Amino acid sequence: MMAGAGGGNDFQWCFSQVKGAVDEDVAEADIISTVEFNYSGELLATGDKGGRVVIFQREQESKNRLLSRGEYNVYSTFQSHEPEFDYLKSLEIEEKINKIRWLPQQNAAHFLLSANDKTIKLWKISERDKRADGYNLKDEDGRLRDPFRITTLRVPVLMPMDLMVEASPRRIFANAHTYHINSISVNSDYETYLSADDLRINLWHLEITDRSFNIVDIKPANMEELTEVITAAECHPHQCNVFVYSSSKGTIRLCDMRAAALCDRHSKFFEEPEDPSSRSFFSEIISSISDVKFSHSGRYMMTRDYLSVKVWDLNMENRPVETYQVHEYLRSKLCSLYENDCIFDKFECCWNGSDSAIMTGSYNNFFRMFDRNTRRDITLEASRENSKPRAILKPRKVCTGGKRKKDEISVDSLDFNKKILHTAWHPKENVIAVAATNNLYIFQDKMN
Amino acid sequence: MVARGQKRKLHREDEGRGSARESQLQSVLDISMDKFLRDQALVEPCLLRSVLINNTLRQVQSEVRAQVESLSAVKIPMKLKPEPDFTQLSPPAEHNASLSSPNAENTEDDFMVWTSEEDFSLSSAISAILKDLDAVIDAGQGPCASQRAPLRSVENLTPCPPRTERTSAVASSAKTELMCPGRPQDAALDKLLLDIDPSVFEPELNLLQGFSVTADDLVKYLPSLSKSPSASSSSSLVSNGQAMWEIQEIEHVMDILMRTYPQS
Repeated sequence: MMAGAGGGNDFQWCFSQVKGAVDEDVAEADIISTVEFNYSGELLATGDKGGRVVIFQREQESKNRLLSRGEYNVYSTFQSHEPEFDYLKSLEIEEKINKIRWLPQQNAAHFLLSANDKTIKLWKISERDKRADGYNLKDEDGRLRDPFRITTLRVPVLMPMDLMVEASPRRIFANAHTYHINSISVNSDYETYLSADDLRINLWHLEITDRSFNIVDIKPANMEELTEVITAAECHPHQCNVFVYSSSKGTIRLCDMRAAALCDRHSKFFEEPEDPSSRSFFSEIISSISDVKFSHSGRYMMTRDYLSVKVWDLNMENRPVETYQVHEYLRSKLCSLYENDCIFDKFECCWNGSDSAIMTGSYNNFFRMFDRNTRRDITLEASRENSKPRAILKPRKVCTGGKRKKDEISVDSLDFNKKILHTAWHPKENVIAVAATNNLYIFQDKMN
Repeated sequence: MVARGQKRKLHREDEGRGSARESQLQSVLDISMDKFLRDQALVEPCLLRSVLINNTLRQVQSEVRAQVESLSAVKIPMKLKPEPDFTQLSPPAEHNASLSSPNAENTEDDFMVWTSEEDFSLSSAISAILKDLDAVIDAGQGPCASQRAPLRSVENLTPCPPRTERTSAVASSAKTELMCPGRPQDAALDKLLLDIDPSVFEPELNLLQGFSVTADDLVKYLPSLSKSPSASSSSSLVSNGQAMWEIQEIEHVMDILMRTYPQS
C-alpha cells in the first residue's frame, strides 16, 4: 500500500490534479483548513479560512481513460459560515471551517457537518436535474394566475434541466461552546455526534439543535489551575458508546458513555512514559497531541504530536505499539520553532482504507507515508513543479548534517511557511488529497 | 587526593554545560515572556497556546528556583570571614552608608563571601520594596499594567556585558535611561516594576493568573541568570549565574524608588 523505489509489488504515487490559485500571493481566505472524503470516496470536501466549503465529485470512470481513475471536479461551493461578532464579549468569531465530517449516505442527498470555532451546521447537498412544467396556479414566468380564469386542469410534467447542486443548511447547532471547537465526530449510530472544544465535549442528536449533553468537562473551578486542554476527540467507528479525546499533555482518554452521564472519569488512559534523557523545556509542547484517529477496524488509534505519529492498541495503555518519526531532524531546532510559533502547528494524520498505511504532513510541502507492514516510509512533496499529469512523484530526503547529496534538501533550507497540515486518504482506493496552503493536490497510485 | 589543576578543569567543564543550559533557559524565558505579553494584548488568545506557554514558563521558573537553591547550598559553606553587618539594609535610605564598594580590592574569598551575603540581604530588601510597590501600583493602575515589560527591564539593570544579542540593545538603552536623573521617574519605575497579575482584569479566558511572576521570584531568579563584568575577568569568582549588582546602581535604583514612593 506504499510507494517504493519501484519493482515487485510496490507501486508509485503520481500526480493527478491540483486545485486552487497559482498566484504567489495567497489570499488568507483561500487557505484550506480541512479536507475530508465521504464514505464512498466519491465526494471530497474542503473547508477554508473564508468559511467556504467546496465539494469535488469524482467523474465516472470512462472507458476511454483506462490509465487513470476519474478526476475530481467541482460539484458544489457554498458559504458555510460567516464571520460573527459576539457582542457580550466583544469578540469576533472567525468563519474559518475547522472540521468537516460527512454523514453516511442514506438517500439521494448528501449530508455533512461543518464547524467553525463556535457553531456546527448540518448541510444537505442535493441534486436537481428536473423541473416541473405546467403548473395550474402559476404561469411560465412564475406569476400567479387568477384562479377564476382557470378553466382546465393539467398535470405538471417533469422536464429535464441542467444539473443544479443545492446546498442548504438543515440544522444549526449553536451556543453550546464557550471555547473553540477543535473536533466533530459522527457516531456509528448515525443519530448522534460529538463536538469538542478546549475544555468540554458535547453530545448532540442530529435532529435536535436546541440542546446537547455535556459529556466531558475539564474546566477547573479556578482557571488559574488549568494546565491541560482537550486537543481532539473522536467516536469509535463501531462502538457507539466509546469515544476518545486527546490532551495537550500527550495523553489520550477513552471513555464509555454507558459508565456515567458525565465521562470525566476515563475508562482507559493512554500515555507513554517520558524518556528522561530527551527531556527539554519543549518536551511538553511537542508531546501535545494535535490529532487522534481510530483505525477503520476500530482496534487501533493513531495520534500525532509535533515530531511523531504513534499507533496505539486500544488494549494497551502504557505505550504505543508503533512510533514513526515524521521529522526528527527538527528536534535540535525546537527553540527556533518555538520562537517562530511553528511548534504550535497542528498536523493531522490519516489511515488508508485497509489500515496498512498512515500519512501525515510536514514542512516544505512535504508529506510522509508509513507502511505499517514493511516499516518503510517515504517523503513526497506537493509542488507545482511535479504537476504534470501522471508524473511519478520522486521521494524526497532531508539532509540532517554533513555532506548534502544531490536532490537532498538541508534542514535549514526548509520552508516553514509551506506546511501540510491536512491530508485525506480515499476510503477504498489509493487516492490521496493533500492541502498545501491554498492548493489542493490529488495524487493516485500509478495503475500498471 | 585530587590535584588542584584537575579540580579546576572539572569545574570549567561544568561551567560550560551550565552556561549552555543557562543560555537556553534565558532564551526560553525571553521568548515565553514575549509570547505571554503579546497574548495578553489579544482579546481572545488561543487557550491551547496560552496553556503551553504558561506551563513552559512554570518550568523555567522551577528550574531557576532549583538553581538558586543549589547555589545557596554551595555558598553558605564558603564563608570564611565575618561579613559586614547587612541588617541596616532594611531601611533602604541607610543603604548608602553601610556598604562599601565591591570593586576588586578584596581578595577572591572575601569577595565571594561578601557578595554572597550582600546578594541575599539585598535580594530580600529589594524584594520587600518591590512587593510593596507592586501593591501600590496595582491598586493605582488599571489595564495599563499589562502594557509593561517588567522582566526585560529588570534585566536591563544588570551591568554589561549583556548575555544575549536580543537583550543587549534594550539593556544598554535602559541602563542609560536609569542613570540619567533628568529622565521621567515614571518611565524608569514602570520598567522596574513587575506586572503581577494583569489577568485580574480579564476574568474568563485568561488563565495566566496561575503564573504570576512575583517580585520574590524575579529577584530569586536574577542571581542565576545575570553575569557581571567582573565575572569575566575572574572566572572563579562567580559560580554559575550569580548576580552581582554594582552598588552604585543599586543605590540609584533605591533612590528612584524612594523618591517616587516615599511611603513604602
